[in-house]
Amino acid sequence: MQPVDFTHSQSAHCESGVCSNLLTHKGLPMSEAMAFGMGGGLFFGYLPFIRLHNLPLVTYRAAAGGILKHFANAPGFTMHQKQFRDKEQAVAELDAALAQSIPVGLQTGVFWLPYFPRALRFHFNAHNLVVYGREGDDYLVSDPVFPTPVRCPVADMTRARFASGALAPKGKMYYFTQTPQTIDHHHFITEGIRFVCKLMIGSPFPLIGVKGIRFLAKRLEKWPHKLGKERADLHLGHVVRMQEEIGTGGGGFRFMYAAFLQESATLLQDPYLEQCAALFTQSGDTWRAFAASAARVCKDRPREEDTYQAMAATLRECAAKEEQVFSNLRTWLDDQQ
Amino acid sequence: MTEQEQSVTNGIATVSYQAGNDGRQQLISGDMWQPVNIVNRQAWDAIEKQIQHTREKIHRGSWSCLRYYMVINHMDTGLLAKYSNQLRIVVYLHTLPLFFKRLGTGTLQKYADIFDVTVEDLQQGKLRAPVYGTEQGEEHAAC
Repeated sequence: MQPVDFTHSQSAHCESGVCSNLLTHKGLPMSEAMAFGMGGGLFFGYLPFIRLHNLPLVTYRAAAGGILKHFANAPGFTMHQKQFRDKEQAVAELDAALAQSIPVGLQTGVFWLPYFPRALRFHFNAHNLVVYGREGDDYLVSDPVFPTPVRCPVADMTRARFASGALAPKGKMYYFTQTPQTIDHHHFITEGIRFVCKLMIGSPFPLIGVKGIRFLAKRLEKWPHKLGKERADLHLGHVVRMQEEIGTGGGGFRFMYAAFLQESATLLQDPYLEQCAALFTQSGDTWRAFAASAARVCKDRPREEDTYQAMAATLRECAAKEEQVFSNLRTWLDDQQ
Repeated sequence: MTEQEQSVTNGIATVSYQAGNDGRQQLISGDMWQPVNIVNRQAWDAIEKQIQHTREKIHRGSWSCLRYYMVINHMDTGLLAKYSNQLRIVVYLHTLPLFFKRLGTGTLQKYADIFDVTVEDLQQGKLRAPVYGTEQGEEHAAC
């Protein structure tokens, strides 16, 4: 089977990276940050009733699959998506698509991918990658978080496609069947920002958006008293681990969103978005200061200022900054109409 | 950099967004940010502690070796139940030596396939490496 001529670009986040790589392959060049922003990828949610390794779920990005869904539902785009019950059928359909020179996006479970470093092999089932060829018993894989394409045995890939547990992929494969030659940047950018604004400052639900950050701050203050030092440190480390998912540069996905706003400012020639991007970078820096302080606590080498109260205050600062920037963006959106 | 602070990515260069001197965000290639390594190390320490605790319980005869394979592969009874297509309570019972000893080859094969070991390993109570491989040596336990 002849591998597809597919250009691999490394990215900081798997789903936006796969989206950007697949669109670029279809002749619609798009940066990762742009795919992230247009797909409404930014979010915050503190969901203590969902547990990961017995720790509360904290998420800094939209639900898995949300970015791709945004593009799949956009006018001019059609996406072929399929899930399977039968493993053999899933392999056969993937091979058939590859035989037609179609690079295929897959949702997989990280734990079963042999090329992943040992320390990152947790049961996370929403990792996206692109398979662009098969040579013997190996798939040629463009995994966007890796610097170069990798190989993965068919058996391991099949196992990863049928991982069980939360967000089970059920063999999910997808590819764009139709993309427009050009897109209306203004429409996609405003829709992407509108979607994120609604979630971050327009939701009445107290656990998501800016309210969610404040809720987390309130809970975080109480952890040492309520859980004891060891459990409190574990909870704190978990918040940071979720924030620093591979390659976000320390600030959740805030820096990536700032990159999207900067790129949008250039495309739409609107300096106001540039100002919003600068504010967003400040928010990312505050998140990073929180992570650095939390890491010192987790390592048992806290400075005098590294208290849970101080960290909660830093989180409230993040919330205030993000509230301001999204209010500004909402005003900007109103001006666009 | 101490061993504790070494990157969890095994030296694979990841990329991340960072603001340059002009304030523009750009993708920079490099190792992961140090606080990430610290909190990842913390998570692994917690898992290793749990593995050690499980080993001790197996040696004392309180748990079957299935519990070890479950813990070392980061699973709980709920997740293993999904992988093995059984009820959670059934998996829990199999983590107890009394019930584990009575398991037929069919059920053991199911577990062996999940954990990349043989039925004999499970029957003899061998504690093999996890699916993702590790430097930890094998040892035997009375299942």
